[in-house]
Amino acid sequence: MSVQTQGTDTAGEPAVRKARIPGVPRGADHATGSPSRRGAAAPYLLLLPALLATVVLLGWPLVKNGMLSFQNLNPRQLIQHLTEWNGVGNYRQVLSEPEFWHVVERTVFFTAANVVLIMVLGTLIGLLLARLGKRMRLLLMVGLVLAWAMPPIAATTVYQWLFAQRFGVVNWTLDKLGWHSMADHNWLGSQFSTFSVVVLLIVWQSIPFVAINLYAATTTIPKELYEAASLDGAGARQSFTSVTLPFLRPFLYATTFLEVIWVFKAFTQIFAINQGGPDRLTETLPIYAFVEGVGNQHFGVGAAISFLTILVLLVITSYYLRMVLKQEEDEL
Amino acid sequence: MNRSLIGRIWPGATAVVLFVGFAFPVYWMFATALKPTGDIISENPVWFPTNVTLGHFEKAIHADHFWTLVVNSVTVTVLSVVFSLVIALFAAFALARMRFRGRRGLIVTFMLAQMAPWEVLIIAIYMIVRDNDMLDSLVPLTVFYTMMVLPLTVLTLRGYVAAVPKDLEEAAMVDGCTRTQAFVRVIFPLLAPGLMATSLFGFITAWNEFPLVLILNKDVEKQTLPLWLSQFQTAFGDDWGATMAASSLFALPILILFVFLQRKAVSGLTDGAVKG
Amino acid sequence: MKRKLAAAIVIAGMMVSVAACGGNDGKDSGKDAGPDSWKGQTLTVWTMDGSAPPQWSKDVQAAFEKKTGAKLKFEIQKWDGIQQKITTALSEDTPPDVLEVGNTQTPAYAATGGLADLSDVKQAIGADWTPSVSQSSVYEGKQYAAPWYFANRVVIYNKAIWAKAGIKSTPKTRDEFFKDLDTIGKKTDAEPLYLPGQNWYFLDGLIIGQGGDLVKKQGGKYVSNLADPKVTAAMELYKKYAAYSKAPKDKDEATPQQATIFAKGKTGAFIGMGWEAATAIQANKSIEKDLGYFTVPGATADKPEGVFLGGSNLAVAQNSKKQSLAKEFLKIALSDQYEGELAKLNGVIPNKTALQSNLKGNGAAEAAAPAAAAGGTTPLIPEWAAVENTPNPIKSYMTAVLNGKAPAAAAKDVEAEIDKRLAQQN
Repeated sequence: MSVQTQGTDTAGEPAVRKARIPGVPRGADHATGSPSRRGAAAPYLLLLPALLATVVLLGWPLVKNGMLSFQNLNPRQLIQHLTEWNGVGNYRQVLSEPEFWHVVERTVFFTAANVVLIMVLGTLIGLLLARLGKRMRLLLMVGLVLAWAMPPIAATTVYQWLFAQRFGVVNWTLDKLGWHSMADHNWLGSQFSTFSVVVLLIVWQSIPFVAINLYAATTTIPKELYEAASLDGAGARQSFTSVTLPFLRPFLYATTFLEVIWVFKAFTQIFAINQGGPDRLTETLPIYAFVEGVGNQHFGVGAAISFLTILVLLVITSYYLRMVLKQEEDEL
Repeated sequence: MNRSLIGRIWPGATAVVLFVGFAFPVYWMFATALKPTGDIISENPVWFPTNVTLGHFEKAIHADHFWTLVVNSVTVTVLSVVFSLVIALFAAFALARMRFRGRRGLIVTFMLAQMAPWEVLIIAIYMIVRDNDMLDSLVPLTVFYTMMVLPLTVLTLRGYVAAVPKDLEEAAMVDGCTRTQAFVRVIFPLLAPGLMATSLFGFITAWNEFPLVLILNKDVEKQTLPLWLSQFQTAFGDDWGATMAASSLFALPILILFVFLQRKAVSGLTDGAVKG
Repeated sequence: MKRKLAAAIVIAGMMVSVAACGGNDGKDSGKDAGPDSWKGQTLTVWTMDGSAPPQWSKDVQAAFEKKTGAKLKFEIQKWDGIQQKITTALSEDTPPDVLEVGNTQTPAYAATGGLADLSDVKQAIGADWTPSVSQSSVYEGKQYAAPWYFANRVVIYNKAIWAKAGIKSTPKTRDEFFKDLDTIGKKTDAEPLYLPGQNWYFLDGLIIGQGGDLVKKQGGKYVSNLADPKVTAAMELYKKYAAYSKAPKDKDEATPQQATIFAKGKTGAFIGMGWEAATAIQANKSIEKDLGYFTVPGATADKPEGVFLGGSNLAVAQNSKKQSLAKEFLKIALSDQYEGELAKLNGVIPNKTALQSNLKGNGAAEAAAPAAAAGGTTPLIPEWAAVENTPNPIKSYMTAVLNGKAPAAAAKDVEAEIDKRLAQQN
């Protein structure tokens, strides 16, 4: 699977330019009287199913969620199908709670830590893949694909076993390595160590996507570019910074964007490993919204937190989205 | 001299270490599932299952309705992946090959859609589905899973479509194909690895989805495997052999699918389907 | 291409119609027509995992189907996430017709309007329901559920291990109990007691034993009383018990099921419900002969420890279209014959004193009975249920204290959360 976004589809661009010739030049449109109009409608028709699905299946729940966030919605209202508007009451309540701001802060740090680790390690492993011989590359690739393909619920369960207090293989190893206080360590007992396990799990599962795609991307770098660089007397490091990196930059941006979204939204991993515990200290925004809304059956408040969660994610990704918008503009 | 030896060896050595690091948890899952309980709770880990037992798997499969859940999971996952691929292919074709007003807005729309945190929308979705009398059915699951994977599928496929050389399509049309024929005969075969690669994300997402089915389908006959796995875990949390057997069973189809599809997909990628 | 496009539009159209069809067809459809309409209907009953023994379900089903001509379907529910499940189910047009609701949860559900008024059932069969157990299902003067069964925790112990430690008789006082646990720890390689850090209903029992209360009224509102010295004393006792256990401090008795740990034969005792013995036997048949029970001992021999009187009621969903059939089910299931059978099979306290003779010869039930008289519950106010929602702040408090935090400080950490939940509007 590859990530393609604006900057990266330079290959597609010339094609697009050519397609600007109104209608489709040969064959297809001979029959119709007004080729340009038909050509103009085609993209919209092609996009119609996807847009309809998005509007109905995502737009509707979002609007519904927005409406719920202005309601007093608890079990009584849910059961009796009552609609009790309470203005911005839910938002006022959520925003005035210090707990909410702690969770926002925690979510941002959590996302940043994961994404930095994933991108740095993923890039390094991707570059390593490019350097390896055929057999070693296949070996590493198999390892990466195995980690990538583990469904998160299964992966989380396996990590619980690896880090189990008793008979867990991690504690045993640490003990044998001379760190005897870890022999019966309860990894889920404190905020930091629970997060360590979660971060390891997420990074382990996310690196393959970055590494494999980055490797695939490096194989498409034209050899001539390196030759030209070495003719200019560039060393290994220089050719990396002057050829490899610029070539991969759009790819890295796009992947970072996706990883930010995925890590920010990570639900299964955190929830299944310790339900946001101990003492709710590992709740990130999606977990917080779920626990307050569904867990505490405070559905209106939960909807408000959901809305704020989306808002925070928008703010975090706004830089990239603006960049995309600008690039597309240049293209027109 | 010495340095160059290290220089030659370290990539391979690192690769081996990394392989172990990435593969070990998966290995340990299968190994634990196959070991008798005595070997699982032993003071020193038994690294290789020597007394292989299938007892844990039997226990895992023994759950009520297990096979119904398997059928449900497969149905919902396959359908939503196919739907999303079909819908996304049209959209991707338009976005990659055509010029029209609002194109960039639409691309950003799909990016935004990709950001939707589904877990926090489940009450809204629940109320919508409930008020339309669609609870305890696989249909809402299928359509919502389709939507969950659709945005990324569109964005990814768009890259693959764009990477198919326009000249091929034009050449086909010169040969008298209509645009549709050109698409079916020329572009589509070239897209196959891309479609496979793209489908992986959908498979893993739909197969793993949990909060939505939990709230929508109370009828066991209409539930899916993630619920079985999590309930199994709660009930047998201390029985790591059985828990790992259940996890293995749950992960196996996706693992096989990945190993199978990824080989084609990666060769597709490296053959230049991706243009950096 | 065109055909594919058409297909895609059809699919998208399907999605729209799927999502948009139905609408809110009114709730007034299918008004219950009484006994004449019973034949051919199916009544759905939700019971919790472990509540209804298979034999009982079979017998009740046979009797019900014979009497009414309708079908009966029992659906066993897991405890995990049950509150959300019941809440959403009660909001639906076709909820389960009858459902088991925990006694401490009943006031909250009664207040939501999701449960049907069962005053007529009470009149028909409930004249001699034990008032103390029937009370939890009365809200604003109306009966919203029928008391089904009650139970309190006992000590379930492994006779072989106790014999190996040279202990001849079961303890009559708390101090004797601690001394026995010490002996087991010294003389055997068994874990004297399995008590995870979050067995919060055991703590509730200790609080009841100390005469403490979890909430107090302040300015017309309920607020947390967790910092009360009586609660602290109970928590200190809990800590003393937990010191005999290697069980995780941040888990409750259900994760993993404590009986399955006990079944391995390396645990001296655990504190649990009588029916957990069956779970242990299921996990390991050979444990059966070593099982023994005794009442949780109190400070003096004449007064057992306080216990949480857990229990379940049966309620009828307000949205059920089979009200008369559901009530008929209650009349059969709660009749002396089947209520007695349940007590006998599960060793639980029945809803009438007259039926307690069924408990004779049941070791667990006989151990439970002496404490039941001094038993109590969680506060029976609608606001309470929210406090126990996951993550239960009291469990956090317990883990914190067991990890060495001072009870007062630990209480302070969670009181804001408890107060917030108590203040939650319905």
